[in-house]
Amino acid sequence: MTDSSDPQDLDARERALFAGLARESAPDAASTEALVTALRREGFLRAGARRRTRWLLPLAAALALFAAGALVGNRFATRHSLERALARTDLTVADRVFLLQRAGSAYVTAAHGYADATAHADSAAVEVANQVLLGAAHAVVKSKLNSTLSSNLMNVLQAADAKPRNPILWY
Amino acid sequence: MPSNGRFRELSDAELIRRFLGGDEAAFRALHDRHTPRLRMLLLRLLGSRRDEVDDVLQETWLAGCRGLHAFNGSARFSSWLTTIGIRASYARFPATNGTGPEGLDDIAAPPLPAAATVIDLERALERLSDRQRAVVVLHDVEGFTHEEIAGKLAMNPGTSKVTLFRARQALRRLLTDGALHD
Repeated sequence: MTDSSDPQDLDARERALFAGLARESAPDAASTEALVTALRREGFLRAGARRRTRWLLPLAAALALFAAGALVGNRFATRHSLERALARTDLTVADRVFLLQRAGSAYVTAAHGYADATAHADSAAVEVANQVLLGAAHAVVKSKLNSTLSSNLMNVLQAADAKPRNPILWY
Repeated sequence: MPSNGRFRELSDAELIRRFLGGDEAAFRALHDRHTPRLRMLLLRLLGSRRDEVDDVLQETWLAGCRGLHAFNGSARFSSWLTTIGIRASYARFPATNGTGPEGLDDIAAPPLPAAATVIDLERALERLSDRQRAVVVLHDVEGFTHEEIAGKLAMNPGTSKVTLFRARQALRRLLTDGALHD
């Protein structure tokens, strides 16, 4: 690219000086990103944007699906929870009996869990389970003194106090 | 985000093709390949306006990208981009800034002092007029011919030769009389 007819040519020392000048300067990272942003804005880098959209759309859909599932599951679980069912006022006698069975099963499960957790001192677990059950029965008797169930429970409790303790078998 | 190493093997033409398809990584590879040299050239051309270099660099790349569809590949991409950068720099020079330091034309240039360094040369280049600096940088640093310089700076080749002559005289004077340390 150089001419042969340059006026007042450089001598060897001058040429060496010019040859020693730096040829490169590292770009500033922020300026580079500003340039890339400008190119995106002008639509040059649309493929990158499409790629992002391709990822974002399924991700958003998956998140929405997960959130909807969690919401439905939570509502379903809440609607069928024992506590919520017990609070209802529109239940039939059969429903109430069923709830009593569920509560009994829950009690047994809780008692087993407690017994498993204290396997090295199982007699204490049995004693605690008995006390809780008797406490619950006494509570029913005290709060519903006029009901048939209460009077029957009272009879059972009095008989139990009179007899030696037998092991209770649950279903 | 630096450009991906897998693009290093690709030619400019291939990177341009991918970039025109919207491939950001291809653009970054092209940018990484050509910007360091272009930035250094722009720094020298801008002289005392060197703090504007990143603005000029961005203008250059944006103009280059906008015109890439018209780039026919007959010239090297680096030369094509460099021409855009030179014109972007030159556009910032005042129109009346065409002569060097007063009275230098008719003074015989003294010999270059042995102690002159590249740092002195950089400083001396910065002290030249915008046009003289552009011509001497393009000719003596970048290796362009007077015909090429004339095309890039919108002047005739004779003007480029005269400007180079004056610029070299000015440089020698600056490097020998201690004016760089004022």
